[in-house]
Amino acid sequence: MTVMRNDVVKALAKVTVQSNEQGLIPEYEVLVNLLPVSLLNTLTERLLAAAPDRKPEIEAGLVRAAYECGYHTGCGIITSEIFSEVVMPMVTEDEKDILRGAYAAFTAWGWAKSGIVQLKEGKKMIVRAFDYYEADSKGEGLRAYMLQGLNQAFFDLTYADPYPDGMDTFVCKQTKGLETGDAYGEFIVTCK
Amino acid sequence: MPLKLDFTLDDTTYRHYLNGHPVVMHSHHYLALITKLVEDLEDINGPQILADTVEDTMRALFEDYFQKNSITDSRDKGMIGTEYFSTFGLGKMTISGNEQSGEARLSHSHIDEGWLIKWGKHHKPINHFTRGYVAALFAAVFNSAPRSFSVTETAGMVTGEEQSVFVVKAV
Repeated sequence: MTVMRNDVVKALAKVTVQSNEQGLIPEYEVLVNLLPVSLLNTLTERLLAAAPDRKPEIEAGLVRAAYECGYHTGCGIITSEIFSEVVMPMVTEDEKDILRGAYAAFTAWGWAKSGIVQLKEGKKMIVRAFDYYEADSKGEGLRAYMLQGLNQAFFDLTYADPYPDGMDTFVCKQTKGLETGDAYGEFIVTCK
Repeated sequence: MPLKLDFTLDDTTYRHYLNGHPVVMHSHHYLALITKLVEDLEDINGPQILADTVEDTMRALFEDYFQKNSITDSRDKGMIGTEYFSTFGLGKMTISGNEQSGEARLSHSHIDEGWLIKWGKHHKPINHFTRGYVAALFAAVFNSAPRSFSVTETAGMVTGEEQSVFVVKAV
């Protein structure tokens, strides 16, 4: 049996995170936060508007923040109790299935309604996203910085050296975006 | 009056909502690096851009909640704001003060504790996010215009203090 994506998405989407008596959310080996997407999008827009001549530096910083978040949190997710309960019983193709499960979590937890459309194990992956919050932001050009970082992180976790030594093995490039009028966002992960 | 929490899910997009506002999960790695990014952009006022963005978005969220739940008492507004802070996973906040001046204290802080876990101590406070949050909360409590309060972080957990302290002054 391989991962039944719809079942996993439905099961994981029911998971909610709630803070403890310290006002913190320690889950998946990290401290989780739950923020309004309008805040994140507005910050991106304002930073880019404040320094258009430094766009590459700001974009790289936004992708890096998402990447490190995804790499560390992603490891916590695929080793979590809920992932073991919901996804692992369906895993028969090792890394490939774990990656499929991770993208089901990706969708279920609201990062992007997305999935893998092409996978060359350990070499290349193409992901398409049909809904993601960064598409709501105002601005010019492709700007799904969060998804670029997260896609790279999930491929590193799956096919690079074991956590935490596999960082920065692969790189993700966005080639299409809802924010620029395409029918979906497209992300291609390849070796660096 | 405790904060009412209504978590909902859009079954089509799988976007998550808290009291009608779309929200998304990230980790301390994300906010630590965003904080570092704005620090690196100090020459273009990066830290204040972050604080102002937090003030504007949180203020809108507070006002929406107050209106929908007929909250008019300033004490209730303050309590709801600090409970929202915890609901977002940002830590534990207490506030005191009046329309002229005040203080906010954090006994736990996602941003400071996250920074400490990731990088260890720092030579100065870095919680620009919470400066904006406190400015939004004071303005909402006292029905003031945006940017009515200046907020300075005078003590930060990242520098080794037990609590983070924010001094608030009417501008």
